[in-house]
Amino acid sequence: MAGVCLAGWWLYGNLVDNLTRTRIPTDFNFLTQPTGFAIPENFGFDPDLPIWRMVLIGVQNTFLAGLVGVLLASIVGLVVGIARLSSNWLVAKLAQVFVEGFRNTPPLVVIVFFSFAVFSFGPLPVFPEALDLKLPGSDSNWLVLSKSRIGIPSLSAERHEGLFWLLVVCGVVAAAGVWVWRSRRHVRTGEPHHRVLWSLGLLVVVALVAFVALGGPYDWSWPARSENGRRLISGFGTSAAYLSLTLALALYTASHIAEVVRASILAVPKGQSEAAGALALSPFQRYRHVILPQGLRIAVPPTINQYLNLVKNTSLGTVVGYADVTNLTRTSIGNANPAPQSIAVLMGVYLVFSLVISLLLNIYNRTVQLQER
Amino acid sequence: MTKRGTILIAVVAAIALLAAACGDDGDDTTAPQPPPPATEAPAEPAAPEPPPATEAAAPETTEAAEEAVELSQAGGRLAEVQARGSVRCGVRDALPGFNFLTPDGDHEGFDSDFCRVIAAAVLGDAGAVDFVDLATADRFTALQSGEIDVLVRNTTFTASRDGKEAANFVYTTLYDGQGVVVPAATGITDLEGLADANICVAQGTTTELNLTDVMRSRNIPFNPVTFGESSEARVGYTAGQCEAFTSDKSSLAVFKYEIENGGGDEQFILPETISKEPLGPAVLDGDTEWAQVVQWAVMATIQAWEFGLDSGNITSATGDNPALARFLGEEGFDPGIGLPSDFAVQVVSQVGNYEEIYERHLEPLGLPLHGSVNDLWTHGGLMYVPPYR
Repeated sequence: MAGVCLAGWWLYGNLVDNLTRTRIPTDFNFLTQPTGFAIPENFGFDPDLPIWRMVLIGVQNTFLAGLVGVLLASIVGLVVGIARLSSNWLVAKLAQVFVEGFRNTPPLVVIVFFSFAVFSFGPLPVFPEALDLKLPGSDSNWLVLSKSRIGIPSLSAERHEGLFWLLVVCGVVAAAGVWVWRSRRHVRTGEPHHRVLWSLGLLVVVALVAFVALGGPYDWSWPARSENGRRLISGFGTSAAYLSLTLALALYTASHIAEVVRASILAVPKGQSEAAGALALSPFQRYRHVILPQGLRIAVPPTINQYLNLVKNTSLGTVVGYADVTNLTRTSIGNANPAPQSIAVLMGVYLVFSLVISLLLNIYNRTVQLQER
Repeated sequence: MTKRGTILIAVVAAIALLAAACGDDGDDTTAPQPPPPATEAPAEPAAPEPPPATEAAAPETTEAAEEAVELSQAGGRLAEVQARGSVRCGVRDALPGFNFLTPDGDHEGFDSDFCRVIAAAVLGDAGAVDFVDLATADRFTALQSGEIDVLVRNTTFTASRDGKEAANFVYTTLYDGQGVVVPAATGITDLEGLADANICVAQGTTTELNLTDVMRSRNIPFNPVTFGESSEARVGYTAGQCEAFTSDKSSLAVFKYEIENGGGDEQFILPETISKEPLGPAVLDGDTEWAQVVQWAVMATIQAWEFGLDSGNITSATGDNPALARFLGEEGFDPGIGLPSDFAVQVVSQVGNYEEIYERHLEPLGLPLHGSVNDLWTHGGLMYVPPYR
């Protein structure tokens, strides 16, 4: 440790000396300077805002890509991982092709493929002439498709949405109460608890009743384009860059997670599965109650790694022009802001991302590990 | 709950421990640290420590020269270049007209020729150039770290780059201005017609900042679609990601020429010029001698043009008048810049004068020299160099 610190201190001294020699600023005052440039897909950003606000927007964009990527990758990875072990030849082979195809391609190539083959040179029109897919028998679009931007429906708050959420919270509390009641009853009488069904059912009923009683606090906002056809004025818009990056990383990481899932399932002793079969459990019940609870426990630590990789790989979005924190920092460096400090900030951002993910998943890991007997 | 609490505390404690350990070590080493520098610079305690580490990226052969001339006003970069026998020139290999790779792997273009001008002046050999291909966002970092001797990469001279980026811009080789190109079929003729449009632009450039400035000052909302490089932004534009593409007008002319001659749609360059873009070579701050050498090497091409000297006639030219004789180095005239007395002859005979360089690379792409701002001052242009005496 002493050696590392010494080397770091020496390198730092060198850096500061050389920067001072060429009179390049060595402090972090640039963070309060105006940004000066506009941010892609962000009409609201005022270029007079300081650079730290620009960094926050970049962090937000990185977070959006990382979060959606992790969720998608987990779902696809789990499904494909199980499919690889399917006794159905076709399903197993398709899953294998998916895994081998994505796992053996660099993520950068996958991202560029999505960006160019699917969007840039794909069959879609340019945005001012975008395809407006109408709802049947209505004037609203449910989807706006173009090379550069995709519009999807979103929810817009109409009335009493605060009250609605208050009622939903009450519903959650009630559902928790039902959960406890069902658990105790299960322990006392031995009858099946079905606590997920009971609790979720109660929550859904409460939410539905509240929604109807309040006259619909939320309404659909269908995607529509402005008069000149260049801006999405309602609905939710995502850029081709975001979709290319997120889909590519989600599928790429899913191929790795699928292998983790497959390995974890195979790590559950075969006798467990056979014993479950002997108890006449259906294949679904076998997975749900016997194999997955044991297998996924093994899968957690390597999956944390995959999540970390996915979040770090979002920096590759730079190549397709996605305004993630790396891309914006590079732009800012190009505009006469000091590179060493900017990169230090960038490294700090990714460090925090990774540490938070590790922390959360390690806590989760601890809870599942404790159930071991 | 308590479990989470303990984990959090443990993490914080671990970080604190690490920081403390590093801090302690740092403090401990403050005492032993000074000796290594002291042995190298014993006489001058005030002098900054010689930092060989930052130059570690430079080749080993130059390290001796580098240390010997550390921080001195004279002899730094020039001696290093002479010892190395080649000029490291930062360029971009994907800027048609300015620098691109021919099928034979040669560098060809306006910028690469000025790299050759510098090599011919300093080393007497226009071929002694190491071209270093740099991404837009990395160009100043390469200059600051000493990886390149000179940056000749279609780079605009601005105050922030002169100041915060520690670049020292020498003679402007091309006076340019920023424009916007749109497909002619759209019928857009001014910036107002681009409200809410996607506009492709290279990131980290003055182009991007100028676009933001001009659109804001005229209250035109727009969406920048940024790409790492101008060449990538062009692909984005041709693929239909954007309704407009913005860059320097010289680049746009080249771009329009390439698209239309490649069988693409007709393009229209908006008549407005939205910025001043003086493009020229840049060196690192703090080495005046090297800056002067590059400056005079570049200016020699314009002086030769003014004298009517070109690569065909300069070797046979004689100094009819004293000014010409000095320029040709006939009397062994040495103004003390650090260049050989015959450097102008070497530059012009091996590479050509400014007019030749310009006409070789930019005229075929639809950018006439005569009558433009880049013409010689005697013809109403801006090319005016100080007397060589």
